[in-house]
Formats: sequence, structure tokens, C-alpha cells
Amino acid sequence: MTEKMMGGAGASRTSYQRYPRVRIREMKDDYLKFELRDTDASMANALRRVMLAEVPTIAIDLVEIEANSSVLNDEFIAHRLGLIPLTSDDAMSMRFSRDCDACDGDGQCEFCSVEFFLSVRCDSDQTLDVTSADLQSTNPRVCPVDVAANALSSAADGYDSAEQKGIIIVKLRRGQELRLRAIARKGIGKDHAKWSPAATVTFMYEPQIHINEDLMETLTLEEKRSWVESSPTKVFGIDPNTQQVVVVDAEAYTYDDEVIKKAEAMGKPGLIEIYPKEDSFIFTVESTGAIKASQLVINAIDILKQKLDAVRLQDEESDMKELTSHLGNL
Amino acid sequence: MADDYAMMETDEDDEITQEDAWAVISAYFEEKGLVRQQLDSFDEFIQNTMQEIVDESADIEIRPESQHNPGRQSDFVETIYKISFGQIYLSRPMMTESDGETATLFPKAARLRNLTYSAPLYVDVTKRIIKKGHDCEEVAETQDFAKVFIGKVPIMLRSSYCTLYQNSEKDLTELGECPYDQGGYFIINGTEVRSMAENQNRPASSMFVRMLSRTSAKGGSSGQYIRATLPYIRADIPIIIIFRALGFVADKDILEHICYDFSDTQMMELLRPSLEEAFVIQNQQVALDYIGKRGATVGVTREKRIKYAKEILQKEMLPHVGVGEYCETKKAYYFGYIIHRLLLCAIGRRPEDDRDHYGNKRLDLAGPLLGGLFRMLFRKLTRDVRSYVQKCVDNGKDVNLQFAIKAKTITSGLKYSLATGNWGQANQAGTRAGVSQVLNRLTYASTLSHLRRLNSPIGREGKLAKPRQLHNSHWGMMCPAETPEGQACGLVKNLALMVYITVGSAAHPILEFLEEWSTENFEEISPAVIPQSTKIFVNGCWVGIHRNPDLLVKTLRQLRRQIDVNTEVGVIRDIRLKELRLYTDYGRCSRPLFIVEKQRLLIKKKDIRALQQRETPEEGWHDLVSKGFIEYIDTEEEETTMISMTINDLVNARQNPEEAYSETYTHCEIHPSLILGVCASIIPFPDHNQSPRNTYQSAMGKQAMGIYVTNYQLRMDTLAYVLYYPQKPLVTTRAMEHLHFRQLPAGINAIVAIACYSGYNQEDSVIMNQSSIDRGFFRSLFFRSYRDEEKKMGTLVKEDFGRPNRENTMGMRHGSYEKLDDDGLAPPGTRVSGEDVIIGKTSPIPQDDAQGQASRYTRRDHSTSLRHSESGMVDQVLLTTNADGLRFVKVRMRSVRIPQIGDKFSSRHGQKGTVGMTYTQEDMPWTVEGITPDIIVNPHAIPSRMTIGQLIECIMGKVAAHMGKEGDATPFTDVTVDNISKALHKCGYQMRGFETMYNGHTGRKLTAMIFLGPTYYQRLKHMVDDKIHSRGRGPVQILTRQPAEGRSRDGGLRFGEMERDCMIAHGAAHFLKERLFDQSDAYRVHVCEKCGLIAIANLKKNSFECRGCKNKTDIVQVHIPYACRARPPPLRTQTSIYEASIQKLFAVTQIVCT
Repeated sequence: MTEKMMGGAGASRTSYQRYPRVRIREMKDDYLKFELRDTDASMANALRRVMLAEVPTIAIDLVEIEANSSVLNDEFIAHRLGLIPLTSDDAMSMRFSRDCDACDGDGQCEFCSVEFFLSVRCDSDQTLDVTSADLQSTNPRVCPVDVAANALSSAADGYDSAEQKGIIIVKLRRGQELRLRAIARKGIGKDHAKWSPAATVTFMYEPQIHINEDLMETLTLEEKRSWVESSPTKVFGIDPNTQQVVVVDAEAYTYDDEVIKKAEAMGKPGLIEIYPKEDSFIFTVESTGAIKASQLVINAIDILKQKLDAVRLQDEESDMKELTSHLGNL
Repeated sequence: MADDYAMMETDEDDEITQEDAWAVISAYFEEKGLVRQQLDSFDEFIQNTMQEIVDESADIEIRPESQHNPGRQSDFVETIYKISFGQIYLSRPMMTESDGETATLFPKAARLRNLTYSAPLYVDVTKRIIKKGHDCEEVAETQDFAKVFIGKVPIMLRSSYCTLYQNSEKDLTELGECPYDQGGYFIINGTEVRSMAENQNRPASSMFVRMLSRTSAKGGSSGQYIRATLPYIRADIPIIIIFRALGFVADKDILEHICYDFSDTQMMELLRPSLEEAFVIQNQQVALDYIGKRGATVGVTREKRIKYAKEILQKEMLPHVGVGEYCETKKAYYFGYIIHRLLLCAIGRRPEDDRDHYGNKRLDLAGPLLGGLFRMLFRKLTRDVRSYVQKCVDNGKDVNLQFAIKAKTITSGLKYSLATGNWGQANQAGTRAGVSQVLNRLTYASTLSHLRRLNSPIGREGKLAKPRQLHNSHWGMMCPAETPEGQACGLVKNLALMVYITVGSAAHPILEFLEEWSTENFEEISPAVIPQSTKIFVNGCWVGIHRNPDLLVKTLRQLRRQIDVNTEVGVIRDIRLKELRLYTDYGRCSRPLFIVEKQRLLIKKKDIRALQQRETPEEGWHDLVSKGFIEYIDTEEEETTMISMTINDLVNARQNPEEAYSETYTHCEIHPSLILGVCASIIPFPDHNQSPRNTYQSAMGKQAMGIYVTNYQLRMDTLAYVLYYPQKPLVTTRAMEHLHFRQLPAGINAIVAIACYSGYNQEDSVIMNQSSIDRGFFRSLFFRSYRDEEKKMGTLVKEDFGRPNRENTMGMRHGSYEKLDDDGLAPPGTRVSGEDVIIGKTSPIPQDDAQGQASRYTRRDHSTSLRHSESGMVDQVLLTTNADGLRFVKVRMRSVRIPQIGDKFSSRHGQKGTVGMTYTQEDMPWTVEGITPDIIVNPHAIPSRMTIGQLIECIMGKVAAHMGKEGDATPFTDVTVDNISKALHKCGYQMRGFETMYNGHTGRKLTAMIFLGPTYYQRLKHMVDDKIHSRGRGPVQILTRQPAEGRSRDGGLRFGEMERDCMIAHGAAHFLKERLFDQSDAYRVHVCEKCGLIAIANLKKNSFECRGCKNKTDIVQVHIPYACRARPPPLRTQTSIYEASIQKLFAVTQIVCT
């Protein structure tokens, strides 16, 4: 999958357009690892930031509590409900409540919200866990992610009941009751972290490692071993046959400089040189489950494009003229 | 790591390790808890002291005043009434409702209904009427009144008379109590009150012996006279005269009692001037007369004077030696000993006594304090009984004891002192203020620490630094870190974890023992043998001498270890001075130590194993003490011991004796970290911090939010903070286990980066992750309870809860009354804010018919409204009746506090800071693993403060998080930074905790590596929302019309003297006038120019008049501060002064005008 990105270059100016490449290394529902090459840090970081903060999801935003005799107070339960990730595959096409025409922005219509109900009462002597599984959704496409996952896995094979317990909202004692109506809305992570679809989004600069083989050969095996050991992560290894130091996993290097310092301490400066490649990044994306990790990246690119479009539109409109005229006056 | 080292087994397989010591410590805390001193002391008061006080009161004996009663001739010459008090009985805490129903009272009910948790006290009273006939025959008539109610005594929670005593955890929960609550406090009118432990020097005697300096005496042979102050005697008396007055006339006799060794020329020489001084008085009678002349009796006969002097010597001088007759020998020996010591000190053979030595201090805990109060109140009660009975008898009425005994004396007397902290009777001299305090319930640790706090009554303003300083003898008794800063620094102390305060025991078993073991008393010995033998003192009183002290001390110690002699008895053998001092009194600090014999602990591995495998918790600590593995050593005895710091020290001393510090260890510390108190025990690695930082944290730990008790939902505290998601710390200390810090934590393990990032964390501010906050990081609950009751006004009129009606209610507030229900209370779940009324209450206005038409208003408003700066939800409403049967309501308001810019946080190392900026996750720096910090602190906070402990906590936290274990940060163990670093390296991290991070805004690598890891952070109770304040115009004081003061009154900010000085220096005169006059209390008046008094002005009609002067023309308008017009009442009469000032003002205004 290769995605072209458009540089916002006008016809009259020099083109800085580049053609970034993406190579997917590993893809699971909630995990994605890919390389992004031929672009710079600003682009990579913009992608990361959009994934974290601007890809919309659906989360519970309004809770009307009818009865709550649990140990946790209303606000506490509302906060916990908000943090339950909901399946948000439709989030991109949904409307934000604030610009929904159907309901004048009060966010209670089918276009911009999903209603949930919860009604639990404990009548046994054992404490009862109220979990995300007790939430009754009015829209089958939007439900707590663990419930959705369990529905899938139990369809395949019903194993591991402990896992299926769901996310605990509150525990009830005999006689305690919780009844509420909750409204989930579309939102972005910038407004509240509950709308963030990403658990982790991180990238690293691909390291370039140059071992000075001649200098390395001056080391004894013992020294080599202690040098290799000095890195907290397993970056280097010793070839059992040739007894040469080899790079086992360059990407395990965390730019901690431990090996460089070790080399200096051993009186061998320049034993190794490590540079980050400025234009290639290795991304790791983990999703909360609200949307698939791959979809998260695609959505992020879409949003980034929308944002750039907005800039370009502005560009073409009067603002730019103003700016140029302003600059010309100087 | 520490364990590994300690586990290093020595060749003796039965030696215990430092790790095993913790089993012993656990046994101690399991049995004793943390407020044992309070409970023990109170139990002692209830079980013994109270009865003793009643017993020691003399019988009340009343003889009727001879009254002229011509009509009647009595059969008896005299009738004597005798009233005596016998056995006392204390019931369980009870409560009598206003309708007369009595039921057991539980602490929960007492707290909620503002009652006093107290138990009724009964006493057996015997009334004897002895009638003496004309022929001297006696007729006695005895009447017993069993169990007469004499008052209610507040009961300490969890003491043996408390309803909760020895309840199981389940029962406690069912009663609405927190199972972690340790008791040790009282409930007075619903508030929890603890009595302060007072820290005193041993009560000062009224007798002094002083040696005068050479210069003060003019001429004379050498002039160093020794004189003594006696009680009630105005002048100092030469000591030799006192001896002669006691009956020791010969110089030799006297010298024998002072200087036991006549060959000691140095000392004899010092006595010469005194002997010469008293040369003229060579006879007991003369000596007594000499003393008598200087007493209170003036102008009486010589016989009377001698009798008076004799009495003084017998009753007032050294009363602890004896007040009976024939105590002269004893007193002479004791008095001689006093002088002996004085001389030793004068010669320089003995240092002066150390006033700050903790062995010379006694702690007054709840028991003795209450005892003193009870004694006073009981005396008052008996006095009242006497006067009542006297009155009855004099009037010839029958004596009714039920009426004579006023139970209120004791009930309200005890309640008054505990509630106000004024120890003693109301409005009387000699009361001490601040003895009891409202128990601090901010955090569990703050409650515990408050119950273990001591106060020294030495004046705060005293410049003397010595009593404030940490003294060697505080080791293991007082926490070296936990003390407030500022005025009370070092005067308010906190007990170390393993201190035991003696409750006192009787001295007579000791005296009997000494008798049995051939102690020679003074009647049997001649002074000549004293230098060769050891003097024995019991509670500071010389009882005799012994010739084989080695054996005596050995047996005494042996018996104490077998608990045949009370374990808390102090045995101090001073070999150099040849003294053996024994103490059985209360209030001494002592602490348990392992007993060492032949460089080997008496406790063995098998005993530890038995301890760990025991079934019932009862046979734990007590067994260890009774088996003689451990004994209590008090501060004074500690000076005579050789204590090894660790068990390893003993092992090393055994293996290479030549390198050992000592070859005669007698004891071993249980664990050195136990020298710390409650708050300091929460600090990880305090031994790596600069010491003031530990002090700061000890103060801040008390302001941290957490869960202060488990039953907080059932309580209606006026103020409470509860943390949403408290976590137990990743890095712990061993002592935390016993402070229940894991169960009731007060903080969160935050991921902390130490970095400069964007500059919003300068000067002790921190950057916080907004996304973490969204997810519930350091969210907390805030509760405030409001209370009100329907007070009775007069006999008939009563206030009523209810919704006030604007139509007929006077003085209603601006706030909204909408939120009230019909019953006048805001129901739970109502959102309330600003000045909303939450309790509606009105009182009827008496309608005066005299005024003609009835007023529109029939009621007056007395509602309670929410504080104007707060908002939240009504959480719970409680409506009951109080002790008087009046309706009583408490309303609890709840609000969620989300961290925001300006809120205060701190680590556990005295590193506090406010939030300077919040950044969402994408703006935060991140590591390759995708970790973003929750908190970023500025690196400049570290070097000057030297809180290395925080850095070690951070890397140990990182290791602990990776290994899924708790890190052990107990001080004085063998954990090293290198060990932790190696473990961290193994986990795949840079060994010193640094990580490469990327800028969240740009995506570039940060130039420096960032120190990152989990650190336990606390949220402190200071939050911006409670502090924010601004005002333009607003309320003013009524008297002066100057702006009100304080945020709660929406007051102004004071433009004070120093600000004023600045303005003067700037020459900004108009600005200054604006601040101090126009913006404050500007006022315009019309003044008569003739008399200077304020004239009547009607600006509408443009007419001015001064009534007094009949002046209508010479009136001027002046601008003066209202404060100047509204002169205080005392000034009002001094019109002339006022006039003068107005005239002066005139002069000034006129100058300005022209």
C-alpha cells in the first residue's frame, strides 16, 4: 500500500514534493508496524499526532442516572463509562453533535449519537460486577469493544471465560442498584482522551550502524563480550563461528549511547558510529480497539489531507493575498 | 537485595537475620497497634487512677453549726454526718434521649448526631449519722447508697471500656466503623478530639540548694557558702543550719552525711565556709528558731516559731522522702546527698545534669491529664456536697444525697476541657490552652501522626535553642525528621514507631524485693560504709545501700525479663557514682530491644519460626517479652547499655573480636529504621535525602489526599478529600505495612520525567499530561458538610426547618431557595452552586399588637447557604435529633476536583510544585516505546535540594514495575544504587534510568536523554479553586466602611504598610490617595466651622444647619475617611479631641484648597 501525499505547492513555486513510501511489516487488528520512508520528521510526527488526537471515535459523553445506590457516586460512574472504548468503525461518517442539523446540536438524534441503557440490581449475597457487557446499545454497530471481541471469539470457540467478563464499571452489594441512560457521541482525542483511538503511536528513526571492523579486531573476545553486554537492548551479538561482532537487531537500539560510551571507556573511540536516518521511520501503532489499527492509519491520513486541504483553500483565498501584500510592504 | 545480604548465613545456623527481625516487629504492631500509648494511659486512668482519686478524698464530715433553737431540745448533744465514697463503677458508653430512653451509644451515632461518647460513672456512697448523747454514748446510723450516678466520663475509642473493644473486623464494618481506625481519641459533641501529650521536665521541686559564688560574699574566709531554699521560707538557709534543725548538731555528724569520705580534702575544703557560717548556731532549737524567723509567721512566740519550723521540715521539705514523724535521718541523708552531688559538680568530678536529656522528661498522656482534671472536678463535687449537706443540716432538713451530688460537675467539666482544650475549670487561672485538639482527618497517616504527637509547653517565643534541638537521647524515641517548621520547630515532636510510654506501676513490690535482698536502710548503717557500697534510689528517693550491687542488679534484671517484676521498671546502675536508680513512674519513654548475652542474641531462629507459625495472634509479642528475648529499655537505662546497631555487627564482633566496636554488647536494635515516626516512615530512601527534605515531606504527607478512613461515606466530616484512584506505592518501606499505607494509600505512581520542556515547569511548577488527567489521573472528591439545628428560643418559640416564603419572611438572602424541598432541605442529587440555600430555617417573629397594624413579616430567615465560591452536588442529608431532642440536620456537599493549572502536587521527598501547564498526550515528549510522562518536573529542582532519594525511588520504581514486584526502600539496609542499576540494565533499560525521548511538537529527538520512571506522587489539598479571588467593588465592614477582609467575605486585598512605603518612595501621591481613601472609605460630611461638629445638611433643599451653634451659614463640606467619622465609642465622649482633629483637618483642607 503506497500512499501519495501532495505537497501544497503552487505552480509558480519550486516543488518540494516527495513521494513517501509505506511498507507494512506486521498487521493485526489492534497492532500495526510499518515503515515510512522518503519523508521527513514533520510529516511523520504530524501523522502520529493526528492518530493520537484527531481521529474521531465514539465514546459515552452524557449520562443520565436514574438510580444509583452503589458505592461510587454518579460522576465517578459517568467518568468510568466515558472511558470504555466503543467500536467506532462508523465514526468517520458520523456527525459531530455540534454540527448536526437534525437535532440542532443537542446531540440526541440518530445521526450524531448512540443511546445506551444499563439496568442492574444485585439480589444475591455475592458482589455483582457491573461490566461493559451490561450496557445495552441501541445501535448494534456501536458497542463496547470487549463485548464485540467476545461476540466474535465466542462465535469461533467459546474459550476463556475470565476474559469475557468485560470491563468492570462498579461492584454492587446485595440490594444495590444502578440504572442509567448514556449517550455516546463522536469526538476527538484533543477534546478528551476518551475519544483517542490510539493506545500507543510511536515511531523511531531507523539507525545506521557502522562498526569499525579494524578497531574491533583489536579487542579480545572478552572485551567484545563486555562491549556487547554494555547495551541494555540486544543490538549486537557475537558470531559464534567467526567471533566477530555483528549487528543482530539495529532497530533495538534506543539511541542510549551506552555502546559509544563503553567504547570510549575501553580506550577505543570511534569503534562504532551510529546515525539516525533522517528520512525513514518505523511506526508502531496500537489501537484501543475502537477502530482497527490499519484503519486508524488510513483515517489519520484522510484527516491530515482534509486539514491540508483547508490550508490550501485558505491559501487560494484572500488570506494569502493579504500576506503577500503585507510582505511586499516591508 | 537487602534480603540476599542478610540471608548470608553465618556458621551458627541458629542466628536470626535482619529479615527475621521484621517478624518480631510485625508481632509488635499486631498486638499493640500504633496508638497503644494513648489507650494504655487511658485504661490505667479508668481502671486504677479514678478509684485512687475517689479513695484519697477524705470523708466529708459535717457538724451542724450550733443554732439557736429555743423551742426544741435535742436528745443528743451533737449529730455528726459522715459521707464517704467507696467503690466506683463505670458502665459502657450510654446515651439518654430527651424522652428518657437510655441505650448503648456507638461511636458512629455519636459522630453523626453530635453527641458525646461517654459512659456514666457510679459510686457507692455511705452516709453515717453519728449521734452523740449527753452521756457520751454514740449511736451510729449507717445508710448505704449503692451506685449513685456522679457524672459521665468521655471514653476513649477502642479502650477497654469502649463498645468497639476487641470487636472483629466484620463487626466493626457492620457498626459503620473503619477497621483500620485505631481509636485513641474521644468524641465530644460529635467532633473527634485527641488529647495532646505534654512533654514535661520532671516536676520541679520547691526546694533548691545553691552554692554561692565567691564574689558575692564580701570578706569572710573564703565565701562559697551553700544555702538552701525551703518552701514557705523567705530567705535561703545555710545548709548546716538545716542539718542542725533536723537534729544533727555535731560538725562530724553533719559532714558524715555530706561527704562520705573524710579523706576527700577537696570536698571537705568546700564545706568549710558553710561550717564557719553556721558556727553561731550550735543547737537544734536555735537552728529551728533561725528558720522559723524567716517563715511566714511574724510576731509570735519563740515556741510557735520552733513548732512552725519543725512542721515545715517535716511536711514540706522533701515530702517524697516522708511526711511522717521520725523521718529526720532519712531526710538528712537525702539532703546530704543533694549537697554531695552539688559539690561533686562544683569540683568538676561530675558534669551538670542535662536538662534536655530525655531521661529527665516525663510525658503526660491522656490518662494523667484526665486524672488531674478528674481529681479537681471530684474535689469540687465533694465540696458542693459538703456545702449542700451543711445547708440541709443547718436548716434541720433531711439530707438527700441524690440532690447533693451534682453529676453535671463532672460531666460538663470533662466535656468542657476536652472540647475547648482549656485544661482546668472555665474562667479560672492556671488553665492550659490547646491541650486537646480536633483530630486531623485529612489522610490516614495524618490521623496516626496526630495521635502520636507531643507538645512541649515551653514558650514558643523563647529564644533558647537547646530544647528545640535534636538530642542524643531522642534516638529511637522521637522522630528525627517529623517536626513542624517555624515557631513550634523542635517543640512539637512525634513519637518514633516503637516507643512505649510507661503507664506507671506501684513502687512497693520493688521496695519489698530490695528488703528481701538485704538492702540496708539508714537506721542500720553508719555513714562510714556509704563510700564502699552502692546507693539505691527508687523513683528518685534514696532508700538504702547495698554491698553487692552486681548480684542485685543481675537478679533484678533477670526478674524483669521473666516479668516477675514489671517490664517497664527502669534499672539504671551507675558504676562510677556507685548508684543504683530504679524507676516505676509513668510517662517515661522506653523502647524494646533484643537482649544480647555473650555477643549473641537470646532470640533464635527457632523462636522466629514459632512466631511465624503461631495460630492465634495473642501469643506473639507478649511471649517474646515474657520469654526474655526482648526487654524495654528507657532513656535513662539506655545510657548504661551497649547496643549494637545490626545483627550483623554482633556476628562480625564474634568472628573478629579485635576489629569489633565492643566486646560487651548487652542489647541489639530491632531495626534502625524504627527511629522514624509515622510520617517519615512513608519516605522511601530517607537516608539518601538532605535532612530538611524529610522534614518537609513529613509535613506534606499530612496534606496529601487519599482515603482517610474506609467509612468515609458514612461520616459527615466538615471537610474531606478522597482520591479517585489511589495506588499503593511501587517503592515501599517495611514500616508502611504497619501504617496500612498499602490499604489506605495517598498518592499515585506517576510516570515522571525530569526535563526542561517548553519552559512551563520553571520555579517549582510541573507540566502535567492532560490526557492522563482525562483518564482519571489524580481526580479527587471534595466533601463539605453543613449542619444546623432547630434551636429553642425561649421556652415556647422554636426555629423550624422549612422553605421560607418571600411573602412573609424577613431578611431573606440573595441566593436561590428553589433547590429546597418542602422540608426545607436540598435533596441528595441536587446540583448546588454559589450562594444557593441548602438548609431553609425560619423563626417566628413575635407579633407586637402595640405597634398597631401587624407587620407584613411573620418569620425571620435563618437559612444556611452554600459557600459562595463552591459548587457541587448534595451528596447526603442526615436528619436526626441531638442530645436535647431538637431536630438536627447535616447536609453533605460533594464535588469532583480535576487537576488543573495551579493545583499543588508533591513527591515523597519534599519536592512540591504546582501545575504550570497541561499538555495532551501528543504534545508530551515520548519514548520509542510510546511512553509519555504524566508529570514533567524541572531538573533545577534537584541539585540544590539534594533529594537523591527521589532519583533512587525512580529507578527502583522502574525495576519494580518491570519485575512486577515491590521495591524495598527501607532506610539503613544494604540496597545500593549500583544493585538497582544493574537490575535495570537487565530489564533492557539504560542503567541510570535515562531514556531517549522525542519532542511531541516536532517529532525530533531531544538532545539530552531524559531521566524517566515511575515516582509516587501525592496530590496536596491546596487547590486553585479554593484560593482564586478577585474583587472590584464589594462588601464593606459596617463600622468603618472599609473593604471587608478575606476571600470568604469577598473582601479586598490589603494595600499594606509596605506597599504604602513603596508608593511614598515613588512619590505617587495621588495614586496613594486613591488606594487609601477613594477606593477605601471615602466619605463626605458637612461640618460647622464654629464648633467643628457635624452639621445637618439637606442637599436637596440646599439648607445647612448646626443645631448647637444656631449656625446656618458657616458650614463647610469635607471629605474624610468614614473610619474617621465613625469614631469608636470610647472616643465619642472626648468630643474635644475629635473637634481638634476635625479642626486640624480643616486647616489641611483649606491649605490644599487655596
